[in-house]
Amino acid sequence: MSTNQEKEVLLSVNHLEVTFYNNKKRFRAVKNACFDIYKGETFALVGESGSGKTTIGRSIIRLNKTSDGDILYKGKKINGKLSKDDQKEVVRNIQMIFQDPAASLNERATIDYCVSEGLYNFGLYKDEADREAKVDQALEAVGLLREHKSRYPHEFSGGQRQRIGIARAMIMEPEFIIADEPISALDVSIRAQVLNLMNKFKEERGLTYLFIAHDLSVVRYFSDRIAVIHKGRIVEIAPTDELFNYPLHPYTHSLLQAVPMPDPRIEKSKELVIYDESKRDLSGEKPQLREIRPGHFVFANDREMAEYEVKLKEMEEFKKANQ
Amino acid sequence: MTDPRFEFVNIDLAASEHIAAPQYSYWKSVFRKFFSSKVAIAMLVIMAFVVIMSIVHPFISGYSNLAMDDINNPSARFLSISLEHPFGTDDVGRDMFAACWAGTRTSLFVAVIATIITNVIGTVVGMFWGFSKKLDVFMIEVYNIVANIPFTLVAMVLMFALGQGVPQLIFALSCTSWVATAYFIRVQVMIIRDREYNMASKCLGTPTFRIITHNIFPYLISVIMTGVSRDIPSFISYEVFLSYIGVGLSEKDISLGRLIENGSAYMTSAPHLFVIPVFISALISVSLYIVGQTLADASDPRTHMI
Repeated sequence: MSTNQEKEVLLSVNHLEVTFYNNKKRFRAVKNACFDIYKGETFALVGESGSGKTTIGRSIIRLNKTSDGDILYKGKKINGKLSKDDQKEVVRNIQMIFQDPAASLNERATIDYCVSEGLYNFGLYKDEADREAKVDQALEAVGLLREHKSRYPHEFSGGQRQRIGIARAMIMEPEFIIADEPISALDVSIRAQVLNLMNKFKEERGLTYLFIAHDLSVVRYFSDRIAVIHKGRIVEIAPTDELFNYPLHPYTHSLLQAVPMPDPRIEKSKELVIYDESKRDLSGEKPQLREIRPGHFVFANDREMAEYEVKLKEMEEFKKANQ
Repeated sequence: MTDPRFEFVNIDLAASEHIAAPQYSYWKSVFRKFFSSKVAIAMLVIMAFVVIMSIVHPFISGYSNLAMDDINNPSARFLSISLEHPFGTDDVGRDMFAACWAGTRTSLFVAVIATIITNVIGTVVGMFWGFSKKLDVFMIEVYNIVANIPFTLVAMVLMFALGQGVPQLIFALSCTSWVATAYFIRVQVMIIRDREYNMASKCLGTPTFRIITHNIFPYLISVIMTGVSRDIPSFISYEVFLSYIGVGLSEKDISLGRLIENGSAYMTSAPHLFVIPVFISALISVSLYIVGQTLADASDPRTHMI
C-alpha cells in the first residue's frame, strides 16, 4: 500500500451532515462524515440500504442540501449557496451515473437528445455537425451504434440503457464521477460489461470514481479504497486489501461475513454474526474516526482503539502463521 | 472440435447491438393506436359531420336570428318534420334546420375558444406553479378562493355585469376556470418533478425551463388531452345552461342553449323544437368525449409498446 500523503486530494468531505425534515421530525441521514478522495482512484462507499450512502453522493452533486460541514472540490467549497458560475463549474466536472437505467432516462426524448443534453446546456459544441460527431463518438465509446440516435430509451435493454447513461455523463468530459449503484439494477450477465467500460474510461481519461454499492464482491474487484457506512456514520475507511484482510469494526466484520462463499461446505458451517449496536459496549467517551494504521481509519474511542489494536495484532499473527 | 460439419464463426458485436424493430415514431404510433378503435372512428365521423355542417351550413342558409319573414304567416309556424324543413319550423316560422346548425356553430365556437384559453393559461401557469415554491404560496391562496366560489355563480354574475354577447360569454367561462386546470397540472408536475430522469437532467445542468419543456410537458400530453376532451362538452353545457336561464346570449345570437330555451315552452305541442337541439348537444358531448379520451389514451406512450 502506497501512502496517501503524496497523492493529490480531489474531493474532500469534512464533517458532513445531511438532515431531512418531515414536518417537525428531524432525521439525520448522514452524521459527521469525513473522507478524502484522491485523484485517479476509485473510492467505494458501502453499507446497507438506508445507511446514507446515496445521500452522500447526492449531496456532493448538489441534489441534496447539506445541513453542516463542507464538501471541498479541489480545495473549493461546493456545498451550500454558490454563484451561478461556480454551480456550472461543479456540474461540468462532476457527473453521476444513476442506479436505475430505466428510470433515469427521459422516455420521451430520443437518444440523440438524451446524450447531447449536457452539450446543449453548456454550449460545448461549435456547430450542429460538431455536436453530432461528439454524440457519435460517445455512443461508439460505450459500444452503441450511430443508428441508435433516433431511437427512444424504451427500445433498449437494461445494459444498453445504462451505457447510454454512461455516454451522457462521459460526453461532458468530467473529472469526477459518482456512480450510484450503477450495476445493481442490471442483469448479472452484463454487470461485468458495464464495470469494464467504467474501468476503461478510468484508464483512458484518468477519472476518479465515487462508487456507491452494497455488493462487496464487486467493490473488492473495482475499488482502491473503501469506506463502510452504517446508519449515516462512517465506521471504517481502508484500502481494499487492508479492509478485507483486517476488518476491525464489528459492523465491517459482519458485512464482510455476509458475502456468500462459492463453497457449500464453508457456507453451511458459517456462523453469521449480526451486528447489533444495542448489544455493544458503548462506554467511554464519544468515539471518533481515528487512524489505526497509515490509511486505515476506524470509528472508535480510546477504549475501543485499544481493543482494535489487540485484534489487529492477533489477525496479523494468524496471517503469518498460516502463510 | 474436429467435426467437419461445424465451423467457427466470429461474433459480430455490432449485430448484437442492432435493434430489429422498425423506427419508433411517436405521432405515428398515436394515430395507429387511435384508429385501431372502431368506436372512436365512428365518433370521429359524427364529430366531423357536426363540425363541418355547423361551419358550412350557415353560409349556405345565411341564417339570421332576427329575420322573421314568416312571423305573420300562421301556416308557416310549428311545421312538423318534412323534406322542405328537415327539422320543422319554430314559433315564428324560422327553419329549424338552419337555426340548429347556426346555433351549433356559436356554441362550438364559444366552447372551443374558452377551452383553448383555459388550457393554455392553465397549463403554462400549472407548470411553473409545480416548480416554484414562491409562486405556490400565492397561487394556492388564489386556488382556495376560486375553488370555494361556485363556478356557475361566477359566470352568472359576470354575465349580468358585462351584458350579453359572445365575447362576454367566453370571458365569463374562462375567467376562473383556468385556475382549476392549473392546479391539476401543478399536482401532475409535482408527481413527476422529482423522478430520477429529472434529477439526471439537473445533474447535467439543464435549466428548469428546459426541464419543463423537454421532460415534463411531453409526459403531460395525454393528461392535457383528457382535460381538453372534458372541457369542450362541459363548456357547451354551461353555455346551454346560462342561455337557458336567460343570461347567456342576446336575441341576435342563436345558440344551442337559446334553441333549447325556446323549444322548452312547446315541449308537449311541438316536441321536435326541444328534442332536436338537445340531441345535437348530446351528440357533440358524447362524440367529443369519446374521441378525446381515445386520443388521450393513444398519446400515452405506454400503450404503444404492446
